[in-house]
Amino acid sequence: MSDPLHQARRFGHSSSASEPCCQIRSDDSPIRVCPREPVIRGFIEPADAGDILNTTTALNIATGLNGHPGASVALIDGDREVTYGDLRNQVDSARQLLMSSGVSVGTRVLVIGENEVDFVVALYAALGAGATVVPIKAVNPFPEVQRKVAAVEPDVTLLCATADWLNERIDELVLGETFVVAEAVAAGDVATAPPIVMRDVDDIAVMLLTSGVTSDSKIAMLSHGNLDFVQGVFVADTEVGVTSDDVAYGVLPLTHIFGLNAVLFTTLRVGGRIVLEQRFEAMASLELVERHKITLISGAPPMWQRWALCDVDPSMMASVRYAVSGASALPIETFNAIRAKYGITLAEGYGLTETSPAVTWTRGFESRAGSVGKPLPGVEVILVDPDGTIVEEGDTGEVVVRSPGVFRGYLDSPEQTESVLTEDGWFWTGDVGVFDIDGYLYLVDRLKDIVIVSGFNVYPAEVESILLEHPEVRGAIVVGTPNALSGEAVVAHVSGEVSVDELDAFCRERLSRYKCPTEYHLVEELPVAANGKLLRRALRS
Amino acid sequence: MSKRTAFTFEAAPDLPGSDTLSKYGLAIIRAAVDRLWDVTVEGVENVPLSGPGIIAPNHLSFCDSIFVPAALPRRVWAIGKGEYMDSWKTKHIFPAMGMIPVDRSGGDAAKAALETAARVLNQGRLFMIYPEGTRSRSEFLHKGRTGAARLAAQCNAPVIPVGHIGTLAIQPPDSFMLKPGLACTIRIGAPMHPDDFGDRNDPRTLRAFTDAVMFEIAALSGQKYVNQYAHGDDTPGVLAHADRPKIARPPRRPSPSLVGGGAGASGGGTNAISPPRRKAPAIAGATKIIPE
Repeated sequence: MSDPLHQARRFGHSSSASEPCCQIRSDDSPIRVCPREPVIRGFIEPADAGDILNTTTALNIATGLNGHPGASVALIDGDREVTYGDLRNQVDSARQLLMSSGVSVGTRVLVIGENEVDFVVALYAALGAGATVVPIKAVNPFPEVQRKVAAVEPDVTLLCATADWLNERIDELVLGETFVVAEAVAAGDVATAPPIVMRDVDDIAVMLLTSGVTSDSKIAMLSHGNLDFVQGVFVADTEVGVTSDDVAYGVLPLTHIFGLNAVLFTTLRVGGRIVLEQRFEAMASLELVERHKITLISGAPPMWQRWALCDVDPSMMASVRYAVSGASALPIETFNAIRAKYGITLAEGYGLTETSPAVTWTRGFESRAGSVGKPLPGVEVILVDPDGTIVEEGDTGEVVVRSPGVFRGYLDSPEQTESVLTEDGWFWTGDVGVFDIDGYLYLVDRLKDIVIVSGFNVYPAEVESILLEHPEVRGAIVVGTPNALSGEAVVAHVSGEVSVDELDAFCRERLSRYKCPTEYHLVEELPVAANGKLLRRALRS
Repeated sequence: MSKRTAFTFEAAPDLPGSDTLSKYGLAIIRAAVDRLWDVTVEGVENVPLSGPGIIAPNHLSFCDSIFVPAALPRRVWAIGKGEYMDSWKTKHIFPAMGMIPVDRSGGDAAKAALETAARVLNQGRLFMIYPEGTRSRSEFLHKGRTGAARLAAQCNAPVIPVGHIGTLAIQPPDSFMLKPGLACTIRIGAPMHPDDFGDRNDPRTLRAFTDAVMFEIAALSGQKYVNQYAHGDDTPGVLAHADRPKIARPPRRPSPSLVGGGAGASGGGTNAISPPRRKAPAIAGATKIIPE
């Protein structure tokens, strides 16, 4: 046992530990498949890990469109249906135009759009040309678009239909050479379209702006190999793998890793169908689910919360065979409400842009309320102390991940990259979690937000959730403040019609003494980030 | 202000140890403790007089196993080394004092210990467990093991936190004899129930409950708490490094030693990481460009 990590393997199936986790299919296709049994919280024998991480197979995730029947429907956008044949034609045409315009390996292509056909065409065309693609949302306040464009510094920009409105102020954006997607499709020539440019696994395919807000926003670089790995796990040949019979609901933004890789790339790779939607509206969305017999729904907690409240015939969701909630913690009440109303057991997953995105999922085994599931096959997850020591079973620690899906770093930011990624491939997520005895992961809070009172860890998320249970509390942010006696003390910022005394009594009844805020600030409004999340950082002293 | 705790003997014919030996042995020990030391017990009313309960004291000296049980109004059981059963000197008296031998050499010693403890609790008796897992050689109060929380959830038993002061002076770590005449205080806190801390199947609940118990013990014993398990190589005031598998930290990770984040990045390499990039050449074909 010279490798210390061997000792950390606790939840594995020893019988499968020596089995290679991923293998190249014998038909030479670059699709990697994984066996069903997850290995030791995703543990892979180092020898096999080397095979995966150092594969030099040429691939391009844009080839995912190929091989599916031309007549079968790939995309549904409102009343418009686009078949695979049609989609490939549009993509080939646009690729021909882009390549003849000089777009090639190394060109940085910005795609501005929403969940629409143009967006899909633009992505596959640019990727197929060998370019590095950066997708951003079109429907955003102009200053935000401007800030993102400036951060990306594109060589070439592709504008989707929803980005039309930018025309008025196009002079204020440094877009490089700019094409309107529909016009590029019309101007290109399918007949002379060159083949898709194959890339190496480590070549960057996509760069995504992480949801880190304003000043510290980062651009994560994801390789073809990163994206391919996660898709491969999702489409693995198991009873729960995504197949050509599946109809996926595409409402999550395709500019975000969850929508992009787990929904778009994965579904089209197997010849499935995606129902695109730009805006979630509970009733209209339910009708879409019923009309198109949607089988896979990837959603965020607010969607499920609203669906739980809809007064409808539960059979509207009868076609759904797999429903997942990600992006943020799913309240247990919502989990129970969806199960009671629609008979659907929501699967929770956990991932980050930097992990393409999947780390844990709930697929092929029972969900557990409050848990984000178990590591995907081929994804190693360990929990560590700040000094890197792997914590004991049942203890909390920072979630650290190693997998072929772990990103290649932040663009032009070695400092930020080196603060989260080590040479041996471990990505430090900054999230604190704990495994139960069966290997299910439960998330606790962000590491940097933990308040340490007299040596005891206080997780602001727990205190905030208690405060929010008070009927008069609209919002709450909990942070730490230096304290001479206890090191740090807990401070609560609360919006709502409630007195400090009442909050204090409320917390004392429900929380251990050291977790109770020692200071309350009643405020009108709490600081909110662009993505709608409350901003603890703004209130940290 | 020494005070003798009222004691009621509970017969337990189905547990190891002779009841008769136990009855007289305990009476002798309690009388001896009372006469030889100045023991103060606070909060004895917190110990339930019937039904199960988990006594969870801090652990500083070998003699804690004498003084804490002597402060309780009921018989209490605990796990002891199986080796004591090999010696004629201890094989009768230790079980009579409440020690249940568990063979620690086996692979599943921890599981066997927990099963034994569950058996005691399910009979509605008191069980004592040191949540630190071992004696604190640092003299700090260490991070608690979750075993007590698991037991409490499994057996619907409250945990009763206990903090004591003074046993270390009575029997220092290197001493076999107990020094008579010294004072010792044993403080017993209010019972705590894991169900007040959330879903008992959630591992976060076990940790939150355990931390809350340790917080109460620290308040009772006056010890400083350290969020690190007790280790055999700790010395007074100094914590040893756990001998556990470890991975390298990211080179520019903010320092972990800081309380409450806000650390700055320190030096490191300057390798710029970005994909190879080539500016697109001027437009070759008849393409549409905005603005016109």
